[in-house]
Amino acid sequence: MGISVPYLGHGVGLRRQHYSAILDEGRRADWFEVISENFMIRGGRPLSVLERVRSERPIVLHGVSLSLGATDPLNVTYLAELGALARRFEPAWVSDHLCWGSYDLRYAHDLLPLPYTEEALDHVVARVCAVQDALGRRILVENVSSYVAFAHSTMPEWEFLAAVARRADCGILLDVNNVFVSAVNHGFDAYEYLAGIPLDRVGQIHLAGHTDNGTHLLDTHDHPVRAEVWDLYRAAVRRFGRVSTLVEWDERIPPFADVLAEAERARAAEAEVLADACARTA
Amino acid sequence: MRAPALRELQAGFWRSLHSGAPDAALVAAILPSATLTPAERVSIYQSMYVWRLHEVLGEDYPKTAEALGDGFESVVRRYLERHPSEHPSLRHLGRHLPAFLARDAATSERPWLAELARLELARTNAFDAPDAVPLRATDLHTIAPEAWASVRFVPIAAVEVVRSAWPVHEVWADPTATPSPRDTLVRVWRQEFRVFHAAIDALEASALERLVARAPFAAICDAVVEHVPPENAASSAGALLARWIEDGLLAAFES
Repeated sequence: MGISVPYLGHGVGLRRQHYSAILDEGRRADWFEVISENFMIRGGRPLSVLERVRSERPIVLHGVSLSLGATDPLNVTYLAELGALARRFEPAWVSDHLCWGSYDLRYAHDLLPLPYTEEALDHVVARVCAVQDALGRRILVENVSSYVAFAHSTMPEWEFLAAVARRADCGILLDVNNVFVSAVNHGFDAYEYLAGIPLDRVGQIHLAGHTDNGTHLLDTHDHPVRAEVWDLYRAAVRRFGRVSTLVEWDERIPPFADVLAEAERARAAEAEVLADACARTA
Repeated sequence: MRAPALRELQAGFWRSLHSGAPDAALVAAILPSATLTPAERVSIYQSMYVWRLHEVLGEDYPKTAEALGDGFESVVRRYLERHPSEHPSLRHLGRHLPAFLARDAATSERPWLAELARLELARTNAFDAPDAVPLRATDLHTIAPEAWASVRFVPIAAVEVVRSAWPVHEVWADPTATPSPRDTLVRVWRQEFRVFHAAIDALEASALERLVARAPFAAICDAVVEHVPPENAASSAGALLARWIEDGLLAAFES
């Protein structure tokens, strides 16, 4: 059946460092992605800013603490807060990560990797279904960058992600930078990864910068998007067509205009690929 | 070798993050990369865990971090060992830091730093406390003269009194200062979206605590009488109310 979400164009993450550029200078992206947990608060400026932004642009809620792969019970209080946030701000969709981040009711605040096994697959599928039931909507699940691979994994990550999407009937937030980072760290082919993702499940694409630490790549979100990742993005557009795309920039955050410029680069890359595809079919 | 069950694997991973020492069973379950051993790969997560949470606590407690200087990182490590995050939101990560610092060796010779952290926590609490539309002076005109004694004012949620044995507001202004002990009362509040704090006198603190407890205005006046001569009580109570209105501390009143 696939996932059906609106095409929003090219967005950026809503970050507090840019509040005044957005509110006072009137600068806007096509849409904004907000970190859900940052707005699970009772009042104050962030919620007021989000109200204002939402009145003018679509937003999506992107969580980091759903802990879909954790073996603790789902945090029902968190889910209720996420549901309330979604009812209040009516995001175009809600997303979180294919990972775990909590154990024994303690939170690591990191996107920790899963082994790609049948056990983990059954577990994650059941959790995604439970979350979607609780929220009353389908969610998008994002692939993470990883730095370890487990010896007992029985399938590649892309096969695991595709199976989660198919069996839980959820969408995929395809982080192209994360595909690239993990491909280098684990020695797989990033283009084979893309080829393994079903055509009808990708609702959003993430782009970001990473850091080359020599022995491994680190997903730092503190640089412009690297050339190899732009190439992979073009391949993703060729495969999946027009998909809402967002540039993440979370460390060493530059002026809003620079982040917007990166989103414009994504728009240009998408247009170039789609024009080329049209020319070939004409 | 037997493949670890998912929960077992996560237990080992969590132990590695929390203790800083790679769990042997976890390491055995990880493949080497072309450039890194399994233990080195785990250490990437261990470093990121401390680095990320250190950054968050530094943002929540900038003045305390400045005062502790290089010692802040070891405080963070000990704090995370004692108080790993219990909440999905990082907003709550540092909520135990003032109490932790009060018992930690890093502040044994600078006991005011735990109080400084308490002031910073109060500021954080005010930052995202529920919104309120403050009363204006003209709103009070609807209170009948005979109703004033029993009227109960409702304070905004974003106001708190911090009581300290140190001039903690002065330490906030200069975290490297070495203060002399002095009983100090600091009012922390949010007006619009800006958080303020200011030292207040015992009269205002006593009255403000009664306001927060939703005592009737007569009880607030009683608090004033405890600090000023009776002939000045009415004008002092009026001045106090005017200041609270000006600072946006009152959200409503109930007759």
